[in-house]
Amino acid sequence: MSLDPITLEVSRHKLDGIADEMQQTLLRTSFSPIVKEGLDASAALFTAEGETLAQACAIPIHLATLVPVLQAMKQYFPPEKMRDGDAYLMNEPYLGGTHLPDIALVMPVFHHGRLIAYSAAMTHHQDMGGLSPGSVPTNATEIFQEGLRLPPLKYLDAGVENETLVAILRQNVRIPETVMGDLRAQLSCCLVGARRVREVADGLGQNQALSIFAELLQRSERQTLAALDDLPAGTYRHADHLDNDGIDLQTPVRIEVAVTIAPGRFHCDFTGSSPQTRGPFNAVRSSVLAGVYFALRAITNPGIMNNGGCYRMVKLHLPEGSIVNPRAPGPVNARTATIKRIAGTILGALREAIPDRVPADPAGELLALAFGGMDDAGRPYVTGELVTGGSGASMLLDGVDVIETDATNCMNLPAEAMEMETPFRVHRVALREDSGGNGQHRGGLGLVKEYELLAAECVLTHRGERHFFAPQGAAGGESGAMAKSVLIRADGTRESIPSKRVTRMHRGDRILIETAGGGGWGAPSSRDAARAAEDIADGKVRA
Amino acid sequence: MAEIGVDTGGTFTDVVCRLPDGRLHLVKTPSTRQDPSVAILHALALLHRDHGIDPASITRFTHGTTVATNAVLERKGATLGLITTQGFRDVLEIGRQFRQDLYSATPAASTPVFLAPRRRRLEVPERIAADGSVLLPLDEAALAAAAAALVAQGCTSIAICFLFSFLNPAHERRARDIIVAGHPTLAISLSHEVDPAFREYERTVVTAFDGYVKPVVDRYLARLQDGLRQAGVPAPLQVMQSRGGLAGTTTARLRPVRLFLSGPAAGVIGGRIVGASATVPDVITIDVGGTSADIALIAAGRPIIRPEAQIGGHEVRVAMVDVNTIGAGGGSIARVEAGGALQVGPGSAGSEPGPACYGRGGDQATVTDASLLLGWLDPAFFAGGALRLREDLARDAVQRRIATPLNLSLEQAALGIHRVLNAQMAEGIRRVSVRQGLDPRGFALLPLGGAGGLHATALARELGMTTVIVPRLPGLLAAAGLLAAATEHEVAAAAPAPLAGLDVAMVRNTLSALHQRAAVLMRADAASGGRAICSADLCYIGQSYTLEVGFDPAWPDLAERLYEGFLAAHAAAYGHAARVPAKLVNLRVVHTAGGTATLPEMALAPSGGRIEKSRRRIVTEATPAGIEAPVLDRAAMPMGHRFQGPAMVEQSDTTTLVEAGWNAQVDAAMNLVLTR
Repeated sequence: MSLDPITLEVSRHKLDGIADEMQQTLLRTSFSPIVKEGLDASAALFTAEGETLAQACAIPIHLATLVPVLQAMKQYFPPEKMRDGDAYLMNEPYLGGTHLPDIALVMPVFHHGRLIAYSAAMTHHQDMGGLSPGSVPTNATEIFQEGLRLPPLKYLDAGVENETLVAILRQNVRIPETVMGDLRAQLSCCLVGARRVREVADGLGQNQALSIFAELLQRSERQTLAALDDLPAGTYRHADHLDNDGIDLQTPVRIEVAVTIAPGRFHCDFTGSSPQTRGPFNAVRSSVLAGVYFALRAITNPGIMNNGGCYRMVKLHLPEGSIVNPRAPGPVNARTATIKRIAGTILGALREAIPDRVPADPAGELLALAFGGMDDAGRPYVTGELVTGGSGASMLLDGVDVIETDATNCMNLPAEAMEMETPFRVHRVALREDSGGNGQHRGGLGLVKEYELLAAECVLTHRGERHFFAPQGAAGGESGAMAKSVLIRADGTRESIPSKRVTRMHRGDRILIETAGGGGWGAPSSRDAARAAEDIADGKVRA
Repeated sequence: MAEIGVDTGGTFTDVVCRLPDGRLHLVKTPSTRQDPSVAILHALALLHRDHGIDPASITRFTHGTTVATNAVLERKGATLGLITTQGFRDVLEIGRQFRQDLYSATPAASTPVFLAPRRRRLEVPERIAADGSVLLPLDEAALAAAAAALVAQGCTSIAICFLFSFLNPAHERRARDIIVAGHPTLAISLSHEVDPAFREYERTVVTAFDGYVKPVVDRYLARLQDGLRQAGVPAPLQVMQSRGGLAGTTTARLRPVRLFLSGPAAGVIGGRIVGASATVPDVITIDVGGTSADIALIAAGRPIIRPEAQIGGHEVRVAMVDVNTIGAGGGSIARVEAGGALQVGPGSAGSEPGPACYGRGGDQATVTDASLLLGWLDPAFFAGGALRLREDLARDAVQRRIATPLNLSLEQAALGIHRVLNAQMAEGIRRVSVRQGLDPRGFALLPLGGAGGLHATALARELGMTTVIVPRLPGLLAAAGLLAAATEHEVAAAAPAPLAGLDVAMVRNTLSALHQRAAVLMRADAASGGRAICSADLCYIGQSYTLEVGFDPAWPDLAERLYEGFLAAHAAAYGHAARVPAKLVNLRVVHTAGGTATLPEMALAPSGGRIEKSRRRIVTEATPAGIEAPVLDRAAMPMGHRFQGPAMVEQSDTTTLVEAGWNAQVDAAMNLVLTR
């Protein structure tokens, strides 16, 4: 059946608009700052078959995360038994979730008695119980320490809330009001999506609407395949590393991938990657998908509607028991670093095939610092900071100094905000001179930031990357500088912090962090003289 | 005794002149981009020659300008130097490390580094602590040396942003004194004056934008003032600020960062007046231009003000009327993508070469070409007859670029271009309203500018809206809004303190200092007898997005009332409000005087001519097979005139498509009100 191309395009804008409205509702009605400021939430519509129909997400680590959830829900709750007003939830990573703080809520959408779509939302909840507040314990060695595990469960039964489930949930989290508030925000979001999808079906007629949904997926698939057809077919290999898993500090974690571009197929084989880790860096399937999907979108046309059709050609080989396919009960809460490295490694593999589209390595690190203690007035505080380094230089341009790349997009903490709320003084927020990889195009510079503790004592958690493996240059460009961090004790002694560490700071101690620079592109000898002179005048590169 | 509103647009400079007896004179003249004051003075000469308005009789002169915006878009601002606290010069470049393009492997910088590259950012030893105390005194020799080094690099403007200056401005003030002593002609912007609020990146950016445009705006306003004086205009020059209030040139030249939305703010004020004249307090305005469409919301008779806005693609923390731009307009290019998708925009043919039908060499199919093929535009009456449109060229472009590849008829293709564009604009409008927690179905749609009337009924239908208001003079609404706007001055101060145990004396002292500063500004503009409003920015402890809550400082139990007000605002904005501790962040005072709620003078008398000019075949979504529709002359319609769609309504500055299913009536204020 051939569909009117205009109605198709109008429907595409409408569905994208619905996903946006769902996302706005989710962000607007959520309680916790991690959603409102960290944008750590996403909304999506799915077809009755369980493929993504439209998605709004503020950070790419959410790109694929609801896909395995939908599959699990359909397996646990056969669609023919679902009813209008039902809603289902889960967070279990080993059944399709990502990590325990991410609860997925799924609502079937009925139109004149027929299930025509699903409306779904995922939110990173502020706490899910377990070993430490926030439920992302760096020292977890099994998932039981990470919080409450929820398999696919019915949350609403024809509109009636499952009291047992809610009671168990409330009992197991540290901030039940906030968690329930955020869960109800997810429900509002799903209701908005369901209402508007029904309106679309009313406007177009049910059969026409379903045909259009199917065609929109097929069109994204065709467009993605066409974009992939433009790339040289072949198998491309690359490997990169995480510094360690935070538990076994001497053991690097290898991510190895062979990416095959063949007609109708985008295959990623992770054979050669490290066995699963004792620490919480394991990436379950949905996490791996997020990294793969980011890479795929980055190398295809950004104008293609983001739906399940874009990913039909994706095939994965994930060796069992490895960092990319761990066995329960391996801990998983710190998988963000792994997703970032997966995205970077796939792009790294494709660099040789499409050197014009894939830049040199970015810093690819999101350094997570957490400070917790009491100020001199005896008030407890916990504060966190996420900072990044430079992006990689490309065939056309220098890298950007200190900017978020790949699967994450988090904001840093203003010095004035930190000093007003916690007993710290920030002494420096600066570009890290000479840290970008040299080349015809220079890699982006990393960051230097220095914090001093003004209270008696605090616990510092430092979760870094790129302390042992530099971001690589491309086409003859040099690698970016590796990250380094040092504790400068009040008496002047210096203690290096190698990548990951939990330690104590005392009054007058400072921590000086330097994030990685991006890799350079092309031979340094071919750098334009005027650009080189500008860099020296700007003090970004030393003469 | 004449009042003048002058809105400088990208293409035309519009002048509305109001006389005490209510008569209006209108002048439209091409804008002069190099020096916009040339067109303004030319328009005044025309007003004198054609309408007998003696410049000496002008008692009020209000102006909306694009000079600040153009300086940024064209990168023609000052050579700016930035001086910061030791250790913090790179804050401007690092920003919040956020990227705009989520899926790009090669993200572009999102910070406005062009304002001051690193070599023009210098540091001086000094430090204020988070409680406002001095940790390290200002190194005055280092400050003087930094200023001299920036001047040696050619800087004509200097921005200074020291940490915590919003709590203790002593070092910034001392720095200005030292620089002025050595370099009296330099423009200087101090962060605690531009934006006295925490978060050093946001404050640095707005201060740097202020410094970047200051010499340009200063030169322009001085030139315009001189020109007005020479022309014999006795009235002081008042300029529209982005918040929607007027200020005298002293303020405008001192704080030019508040002028970025000068023109669009005037348009929104015009929309508010029209809504009020039609007794509709909830209005969504849409201004469809050549390359983009601007959307704004007026809720309960008040334009929504946002505490931050985009300037040239950069987020800047300066309060503006909430105008949202989407990249689709009359010049938007339609094309068929690989995979068979019809895309409209964001590429635009602009005005050069323009749509194919302009006959200036453009061969892309645009929205305007589609409108012509659907019979919505009279080729001989475009822009009041200023340009003759070529239907043959439009047909070639749409046939070859859209109809043939998609295997559609010419009219299906043209209608398709509109449907796709309208779908994007409708979702844009929905996004803007949903973000404010508002349902567009309760609003009336009000097209401003030239092209909105062709889209209005289709958009309203798509959004479930039942009322469209087409103003009598949509193309002159910004200029008319200037005449209706009030003089307004806003001053704010940081006042960080938990609400529990709030020091009410501190609040009242801060407010009285703010009132004094605002009163000085109002007196400078000879504005008196106005209103004063106090508000507070509040947030939950531990969160950083604030909500503005209005209050009366005389209230007993001030802290409790503020807290209750915050909870109510939170519930309205976010749907819930937990009773957990909150804190005060900023205090603000706004003084307002003058301004009118309505513009009854807009009720131009009907021309007396025939209403139905002709009939022609039009194709619309409601009538895809085509239908003979009357072409009506808006100027001839008397008050109370009624008709039904389908119809085309033509007037000199716009054309309105009234689709089948809509009833039209000219209301008492001469607005054309469409309902269904």
